[in-house]
This record gives sequence, C-alpha cells and structure tokens, in this order.
Amino acid sequence: MRRLSAIGLWTLVLGGVMVPQVQAGFFPYAYEVYRLPNGLSAILIPMPGSGLVAYYSVVRTGSRDEWEPHRSGFAHFFEHMMFRGTKKYPGEVYDRLVTEMGASANAYTTDDYTCYYMVAARENLEQVMELESDRFQNLNYDETAFKTEAGAVYGEYRKGRVNPWWVLEEELLNTAFDVHTYKHTTIGFEEDIQLMPTLYEYSLSFFRRYYRPDNVVLLIAGDFDKEGVKSLLNKYYGSWEPGYVPPQIQPEPDQKAERFKEVRYNGRTLPILAIGYKGAAFDPQDKMVAAAYVLGELAFGENSEIYKKLVVREQKVQFIQGDFGFNRDPKLYVIYTMVKKEEDIPYVRDQIDATATKFREELVSEEELEKVKSHMTYGFLMELDTPGHVAGNLAPFVALTGGIEAVDQLLTTIQSLRPEDVREAARRFLQNERRTVILLKGVK
Amino acid sequence: MKARIWLALAIVPVLVLGCARRRGVENMVLLPAHDDPTVSFRFLFQVGSQDDPPGKEGLAALTAALLTEGSTQKRPYEEILDLLYPMAASISEQVDKEVTVFAGRVHKDHLARFYDLFKEVLLEPSFREEDFVRVKTDFLNHIRNTLRYADDEELGKEALYQFIFRGSPYEHLEEGTVAGLESITLDDVREFYRKYYTRDRLVIGLGGGFEAGFPERVCKDFAILPAGTAPRVPAPEPERFEGIHVRIIEKDVPATAISFGFPIEVLRGSRDFYALALATSWLGEHRNSFSHLYQVIREARGLNYGDYAYIEHFPNGGRRQFPPPNVPRRRQIFQIWIRPVPNEARLFAFRAALRELQKLVDQGMTKEQFELTRKFLKGYLLHYAPTTDLRLGYALDDRFYGIDGHYLDNFRRALDELTLEEVNAAIRRHLQYRNIKVVFVTRGAAELKEALISNAPSPISYPTPKPTEVLEEDREIATYPLAVKPENVEIVPVDVVFER
Repeated sequence: MRRLSAIGLWTLVLGGVMVPQVQAGFFPYAYEVYRLPNGLSAILIPMPGSGLVAYYSVVRTGSRDEWEPHRSGFAHFFEHMMFRGTKKYPGEVYDRLVTEMGASANAYTTDDYTCYYMVAARENLEQVMELESDRFQNLNYDETAFKTEAGAVYGEYRKGRVNPWWVLEEELLNTAFDVHTYKHTTIGFEEDIQLMPTLYEYSLSFFRRYYRPDNVVLLIAGDFDKEGVKSLLNKYYGSWEPGYVPPQIQPEPDQKAERFKEVRYNGRTLPILAIGYKGAAFDPQDKMVAAAYVLGELAFGENSEIYKKLVVREQKVQFIQGDFGFNRDPKLYVIYTMVKKEEDIPYVRDQIDATATKFREELVSEEELEKVKSHMTYGFLMELDTPGHVAGNLAPFVALTGGIEAVDQLLTTIQSLRPEDVREAARRFLQNERRTVILLKGVK
Repeated sequence: MKARIWLALAIVPVLVLGCARRRGVENMVLLPAHDDPTVSFRFLFQVGSQDDPPGKEGLAALTAALLTEGSTQKRPYEEILDLLYPMAASISEQVDKEVTVFAGRVHKDHLARFYDLFKEVLLEPSFREEDFVRVKTDFLNHIRNTLRYADDEELGKEALYQFIFRGSPYEHLEEGTVAGLESITLDDVREFYRKYYTRDRLVIGLGGGFEAGFPERVCKDFAILPAGTAPRVPAPEPERFEGIHVRIIEKDVPATAISFGFPIEVLRGSRDFYALALATSWLGEHRNSFSHLYQVIREARGLNYGDYAYIEHFPNGGRRQFPPPNVPRRRQIFQIWIRPVPNEARLFAFRAALRELQKLVDQGMTKEQFELTRKFLKGYLLHYAPTTDLRLGYALDDRFYGIDGHYLDNFRRALDELTLEEVNAAIRRHLQYRNIKVVFVTRGAAELKEALISNAPSPISYPTPKPTEVLEEDREIATYPLAVKPENVEIVPVDVVFER
C-alpha cells in the first residue's frame, strides 16, 4: 500500500480534484453560509477549542478556464503572482506579516479551481482577513517581478517532468480532448510556459476577470466567533466590486471512436497503462455521477476483484487504481495500472475490458455495495479532525458548485444507490468508443 | 488566548507507562483523548535498516512490508484487505535507520475488529512465498525505476546520506540495495523477524478515544513476543573528511538536483539543538518562502522552485509540508536542498547556497533575523502535530531521544529563552562550510567536474532584467572560490546508484 499513494498525489498535482470520500448525513459540524451583497459567500464552520483557524479562499477558476489560445497554465502561474503583494502590503511586508504569525500558508491550483489557504492561531484571524482581502482586491506587481516568477514556474515544470506520471497525464489529456480546455494539464503546455514572461498585460486582465467576489468562496473553519467574523467580512470585503467574466469554454464533442497512443518516457519505468473514459459533469444529485464514483471503487479500487487478481494473486501488475473523480465539466474516469512485464500488457488490458463488461452486464452484490458505502463514510469522517482538514476536504465541493450543500446532497445520493444504478453507470460510461488508451514505456 | 493555543498543542497528557514488566514488555505511550472518535496505533520496534546484515541490505524493510502487505497464519492478504476496507482503515509500516513503526487509525466503531487484525498482522505472520516475491519485486522496482528515474530530488538526497555515511550502518537506503534485496531469502526474513521482533524492542503507542482497560489488554497480548537477545548496533560514525567532496550522478536530465551537507553531533532535545533549529529555519525553512535561501535563489533570481536547509532527516520533502514523526536517528546531518535548476545554472546555484552558508557561519544572525524567526517558529510549531495521531508519533520520538516532557512544548519554551548570542554560538560550534559533501544529479558530469576542480567562474544570465544589486552580487557568486581536488570528485552512472 505504501508506494501507491504516489498516484493520488499525482492526480492532485496535475489537476484532478482532491476528492474526500463522502457519505450521507454525517457531516459533523454545524455551519452557516454568509453572503455579501457583492456576491461573495463565506462558509463559517465553528470548531471551538482548537485554537486555530483555517482560512481558505477558493477561486472558482482553474486550468479549465484557460480558454484563450496559448494561455494554458496561466491560472497556476497567476497563483504564484498572488504572493507578490499590494501597494499597502508589498510582497516583502506581506511575507513578513505571515512569517510573524507563524501561519501555515500556501496555495494550490487544480483543473477547476485555485485555493489559497492560511491556518493561523485564532488571535491572528483579523490580520489574516485583512491581508487576504487586500491582495484579492488590490494585487500589484511590476513586470520584472512577473518575469522572474515565470522562471520559478518553469522550474516547477522541469522538476516534475522527470516523472513518468507527469508525461502520461499530459498525453492522456492531450489525446482525449480536442477542444475543451481539459486538453492541457494544470501546469500547462511547455511552449505556453515559455511564453509566460511576455504576458504581463494579459495577467492584469486575468486578475480583473476572475478574481472577483462573485467567483470566490471563503471557507473559514476553526476556533472563531461567528458574529465577529461576519462584521469583519463586511469591513474587509464589502467594497470589493463584482465583475466576474465567465470563460468561453467550448464543450467537447462526443467521442465516437477509441483513441490510442503509445508514449516513450526518457527514463526507466515499468510500462504504465492508462484508460480514460469520458465522464460526467459533477452534480451531487445526479445518481449517475455518484454511481460512477462508486463504480470506480467497486471495479478498480483497492478492494476490487481485479486488484486482488492482478496485484495479489497473479502479480502481473504493480498496482491498479480507478480514479473516477469529480469535475465541473465532463472529464475522464481513468484506470491506471503499472504492468510488470511488457508481454503481459495485452492480458492486463483484456482483464480491464472483462471487468468493464462484467459491471455492464451483471449486478454487484448488495454486500459489496455496502462495503463501499461504509468505506466512504468512515474515510470521510476520519478526515474531519482539524480545521485545516475540514476546510481542505470541503474546498473541492465548494469550488465545483459554489456552495457547501453539495456535500450533503452527494452523501444522500450515494446512500440511495442500488446495484442497478452501478450497472447503469457502467453501461453509460464504460464504453470503448468513448475512451482513450495511453501506453507509456520507458527506455530499455 | 495563549493558554488555549497551548491547550491545542498539548491537549492530552502523555502517559508513559511501564507495562507488564514481569513479562518484559518495556513501555507503552498512551495519549487518551475521549472526544476523539478515532483510535491511533503506533507500535514502534527498535530495529531498522542499520540492523540489516551485510549483503542483505533491505531485510528490515522487507520484513516489515511482509507483515503489512502479506498474509497471516489465519488468512491470505486479500482477505485482510477485504476486512479493513469497510472500516476505511489500513495498517502501514515505516522503516527508518533505527526504528520500524506499524501504524493504523480506525474509527471507534470498529476498534475491536481492527485491533484483532492489527494484532494478527504483527504477531502471526505467515511469510508466504507468493507474498515475498510480490513485495520484493515492488522494492526492486522502487529502486531501479522510481528512485533512479522518477524523482531526482529524492535521489539526490538519499545519495547524499549514502555519501556521508559511507562505511557505516547508515550507509544504505532503508529499502536496501539491488544486490542486497536479490540475495534475501524467505528464511532470512523469518530469522530477522524472530531475532528482532521482541518484547524488549517494542514500544506500544495508543492514542485517541479508546476505553479504559484497552491498553492493559494490548499489553498482555503483545507480551507473548519472545524476550530479545540481539545486540544493539552502535551509533554510526561517519568517516572524517576535509574539503569539498563531490559525487556526480550522471543522468540525462535538463535540470540538476543538488544536495549538500555534513554530519552534525547535535540531537533533538539539547539546548544547542533548539538554537541550531532556529538558525536553520531562518536559512532554509522547509517549503516556505520565509527561507533565506529561497529568497536568494528562487525569489530574487527565479532559478528554481525552492531551496531549504535541515538539521534532521526529513524524508519525502517534496510531498509534505511538516516533518513526519518516527524517523529518529542518533546521528543527523546538516543539509541544504536545492531543487532542480537548469543545468547551465547548477554551479552558480551551488555557489550561491554555499556562500549564504558561509555568511551565516562567519557573520551569524542579526538581531532582527533572530527575533523574526523566533516569532515565526512560535506560531509555526503549532501546525506540526494538530492530530492525536501525530502527537502520538512525537511522543514516541520523545522516548527515543530521552526528552523530558514534549519536544514541541520544549521547543516553544526554548524559543522564549534563547538569546541571539546563544544561537550564534551554536552556529559557530556546529556549522561550517569548508568540509562538505555534495551530490549533483545532472547531465555532462565530466564537464561539471572540470569546472569544479578548475574553480572556473560560473556567470549567469537571465531572460529578464534584474536589479543592479542582484547583478553585482551575481559577480561575487560566480567567482566564489571552490577548492575542489580532482581526487575528491567521483562520477557515478545513475544505474549503479543503490546497486550494492
């Protein structure tokens, strides 16, 4: 189990949504949604006694929103620029204040959203709110700082590209999508990253269009006084002008035929096979979305029959994993496996196909379905132990839907699933003509 | 308000109990937290990769992995997976140089069933041939493919430990060497388990919402382990060396990963440790823009993604923000980690980092730097162990280091007491910049070697304009003297690293 975590990490880095495992009716904290007239929502989740507050600013813009030509990777690059400061708090002053608080502060970008977080002691909350609200409204950087940061982003790309999973994900998305912006990974195409230093003016327009209160949700979890926070929200965010301009993302046309690509990785690795089926847009009340998520676990998860057969009994593959996550637009439901011997690749592929066929034709047992529901319930519950974990686990749902209601809705939908729903999801999604197969091989 | 933060950090008492002494299970560390809906297990055996017999490198790690990823006498591995799955629980192992930890966390609802499995996994392994082959193949793939090819940063850091601890039990990777793993037989594993999984080496760690009486039951169950007689490995003595020693791992890459450092004698718990930890935090706090090296190399010059410094082992730094518990060691190194830089900037980046280290050693910290770092750490340490499970991990480490009270509490207290003079004295006592070992993972090793031994200037150019003060400093960095002797540079092809 140890080294399998690499793939989970990878999907996070490359833009897969970090999905907590969720199950119905168990969210253990009371919360309140506070809305400002400018469209900003703040979700307040008091967790008294912890002494800490997690302050998450979720911008509902990620690499999905990079719709203009040669602007791939910009959401992530822009995340870096958000640390460059304002006139009131220039970068070095901002850094100094965050440092003095000893806050755990950082940011990350996924395909669907960008998240900025600070976890700090409760007495620092007002300072956090002032700093965060200031940079979201008054970000200010010059062209030199902008160009320097482009170098750091390219460094991030270089450090990652030595990894075969990185190469695989780039090829998978590029092959599976023709027009939708999911065609590129979150960090972007290399040639677009190289262009970044020339795009200072564009960066200002990016900020003006996407960093608006009507496109941002705040998640505040931890030890704070709710009424006090509401008045601070008015004080620091009240004058923020709305003005979100939605991106012009083209929907991906229906895929009519299977796509296949063999990719060479310039290093040693066991062969990796990725099979990505076109998925559905996240809708917590859509049974097929929830059933697909459960299907990924049942058919290809750590307790699936194929895992036990190929990993444990026959030892043909190093691991196999299904990643049937949630995205704002239809993306991919992917099965990843690392094959030990090249000559076994056709066999492994046949086994995956046979598994898909089985789930399309047969009903899963009630007992197996209940195990998955239980796994998701407890997996979700056990991750809600600190303010940072609560906010971090809710952030994707908030990003995808704009609110927190999606959590309970999804929980309810999953609980309601019957074996027939899982079979229906398999029939709908596990279709060969709607899939892309990537085979990555290393050098001999 | 401060009291509440304090409460959050040390919310539950740590009870270190003698347990069934007559039977010989020496210690238990308990962190009861009744409002925690989960129970955490961390069982620590004082055995690690330093105990691998010569020629069988990887045996400790393989043995532990066969417990958590293998069958028991009662059931095959896949049945264990099936039983754990509905609880969303797992049993994992972590093997470091000195200790092996088996960890698991489960919701209270499933405690009884989980504990039965946990106990079975540790006390009744079956060491089946098919599990052995699977896990061993997994290990070999990890070294041959993942470590050598997929993660240059971790490769460079592990190679640095190997370089510094050459000839000692700390030399080899915890996962072993290719030759070592290939020579290990199932009988070796059985023998290792029998010899080292003994009562005297076990510390039982339990945290969270368990009921009264549970620890006693656990203690009794594990008392069936045999008494141990295996000798303890002495603390490693790294070889002495002078000057700059370089190991270049030749690999076809566009960017160079760099790690360098030297052994230090200071360990967690001593006054000097806290002083040095403060100085190191200022120089290079892990994955934090507060790091001075980060400011110099990334922020001002955009050469890479980050640059950090350490005085304790920090595995998998690219994947975590805070240090993990349960990798305690009797010898640590001071280390600087430069994340991949373009090959053409590798020598410049190394010089820049070494020069900053020299400045710190020669000039010490300023009052302002000291005060800022002190303030930073007082808050930042609150994030190290926010959960019962992590606090349990730290409590086990306290026992290893012989710390009175709790490390993180003591650290925060020491921050209040430390003076600038003490910190600067600790820097002078423990840090230096003349005798260091460096690992480069790069392409064109011969060219780099030539540049190092000829002390050739390494000027740098940027695609974008830079402020005058940066350019002026660049000239000093580019000609920063490196006295590297030809005999102190070795070139190793990547496919040989960790081979034997």
